[in-house]
Amino acid sequence: MLNNPYINVLIVAVLTVVFIISTSYGLGFLARAITRARGATPKQQESAFAGYFFAAPWIVGFVIFVIVPLSFSLYWSFTDYRIASGEPAAWKGIENYREIIFHDLGFRASLVNTLYLTVIGLPLQMGVALFLAVLLNQKMKGERLFRMAFYLPVILGFNTAVLLCWRLMLNTGTGIVNQIIRAISASVPPFGVLSRALILVQEVVTAFFLGMNTGKYNLLTKVLEAGFPADNRVPLWVQSPLWTKMSVILLMVWGCGTMMLIFLAGLNNIPKELHEAAEVDGATGWQKFWKISFPLLTPYIFYNLVVGLIGSLQIFEPIFVLYRDNEPIVSSTISMVYYLWETSFSHFEIGYGSAISWVILVIILIFTLLQFRLQDRWVTYDVY
Amino acid sequence: MKRYAPILKSILLYALLTGATILMSFPLFWMISSSLKTVEETNSPGIVWIPDQPTLAAYTGIFQNENFLRSYFNSVFYVTLSLVGTLISIAAVAYAFSRVEWPGRNVVFFLMLSTMMIPPQALIVPQYVFFNKLDWIGTFNPLIIPGYFAGGAAMIFLLRQAMAQIPKELDESAFVDGANHIQIWWEIILPLVKAPLATVATFLFVGLWNSLLTPLIYLQTIDLYTLPVYVSTLYNINLTTQPWPTIMTSAVLTTVPLIIVFFLAQRYILESVVVSGLKG
Repeated sequence: MLNNPYINVLIVAVLTVVFIISTSYGLGFLARAITRARGATPKQQESAFAGYFFAAPWIVGFVIFVIVPLSFSLYWSFTDYRIASGEPAAWKGIENYREIIFHDLGFRASLVNTLYLTVIGLPLQMGVALFLAVLLNQKMKGERLFRMAFYLPVILGFNTAVLLCWRLMLNTGTGIVNQIIRAISASVPPFGVLSRALILVQEVVTAFFLGMNTGKYNLLTKVLEAGFPADNRVPLWVQSPLWTKMSVILLMVWGCGTMMLIFLAGLNNIPKELHEAAEVDGATGWQKFWKISFPLLTPYIFYNLVVGLIGSLQIFEPIFVLYRDNEPIVSSTISMVYYLWETSFSHFEIGYGSAISWVILVIILIFTLLQFRLQDRWVTYDVY
Repeated sequence: MKRYAPILKSILLYALLTGATILMSFPLFWMISSSLKTVEETNSPGIVWIPDQPTLAAYTGIFQNENFLRSYFNSVFYVTLSLVGTLISIAAVAYAFSRVEWPGRNVVFFLMLSTMMIPPQALIVPQYVFFNKLDWIGTFNPLIIPGYFAGGAAMIFLLRQAMAQIPKELDESAFVDGANHIQIWWEIILPLVKAPLATVATFLFVGLWNSLLTPLIYLQTIDLYTLPVYVSTLYNINLTTQPWPTIMTSAVLTTVPLIIVFFLAQRYILESVVVSGLKG
């Protein structure tokens, strides 16, 4: 019976519940005994019991699933621990960290890719999010319906199945995206010129970033030598290292719904009187946006920037679904978490993987602290 | 001319909004349309918006595919089991942080908020070793059990905020009537926070249903695969012709629960995203 995976997990789940309830009572009784010893009133004792009784699941989970693993991984990050070898871990000092920061090409690639997504992707994503938020803020009929349509991609976004649909759509030869680009280019020549100009800009920028990965800029010179793209050129979305990151950015822009809602909240918080006063002074809609709305939105822009940056360190699903098994391409687009997964679970080098985890943790900690600093600005609901 | 300006403006606005909606929902349309095509049509260089003769071949095929059906069952099973435990434990912890005054509450609450800074991925390596020691690799346990310990600080926070707004007098009068904390929690407070509970449940459902990384690490045999893991194996880079109609059919069937849940809960979700500033 224990061989049946479903019954097995049901039994473990029941045992877990029993364990949690007993720790709840245990912590509760302990808290009551301590408060009684301190001479608290019966009502205070009862509150101490209830508080620890209800908070126990989190407290116990925090110790088992956060504190203990983090301490162990901190220790392992200074060793050469490998799960398969069966040998005890040998102390290596800061060797793992030195290797990651100074010599590890995969890690450096993931850093440069994150930089690319931040410098190129986030402004695009935020621009679209802000544009949609401004449209929705006009308070038209059916606004809720449009809002739902713009937020739906966030729900679907990182589902494998939906990502595979993007894989189909982004096929270079037969994918619908390139088909549409070809069709419009053929019937409206200026669009074709524009699209090829964008292709050139995109490839030059990406080739430059790929050069930062390796220190060799021969791809960049190749792109520049090829010159202006030929008539029939289309983006090589999931096919060329020059385009892999742009495909991820396309997915990010598609899933900009959360950012849009944040911007929408920001726009709602702008006092109406400011716009009315500007109208009296004869300001145009454009001036109102740039002189009033935009400055008041900067805290929200900061917030989205920091959250988006942390998000791009953690991207995993799109890279796995679009590029896995595609060896020459995947290194051009890996994120830090993808790199962590690849190194930790292909060779089970726990020591090295732990060190990568800690580097990611510290980076995210820095950005989160930055975000908390800025939160004072973004949570202010009264502008005055 | 000036008279027509508002009308022109709203026409332009609706045109832009409709255009954006079409672009944003295009993948969904393409997914459904492709699931009704033949393999030749999906791989042809011409554009087939809607197939002339829609075929349900991919659907009948996938309903005979044991691996797909099993992975669908696995997903439903693991998401349900995980969701129930996580939701109840989160509701309990949120109660402790909002309705009870206990010594050390502020310290523990601060600790809980600070765990939001820890990316879950930083814990996967040591947790893998831990679950390996428990002999839990190749079982559903690592995907389900951690949630039972009130996994998800942001969700606790969201629910706590809602519970904190309920007037204190309610509990006090219940105490006078002789109710205990468990009764107050289950019979008075929880029914009053149904909407936030629905929001938290939706976020948890979406996260669990879409989850790829943990199932990928822990479920190592095809009979345990959840939908995202199984569906990702349908696309095989070594094939010259991908079975796109089958892949897109499985994609449609995978997204249906997500879309239903989203439509049922969108009212709560769209408001709470801003309150908590979290990612869906």
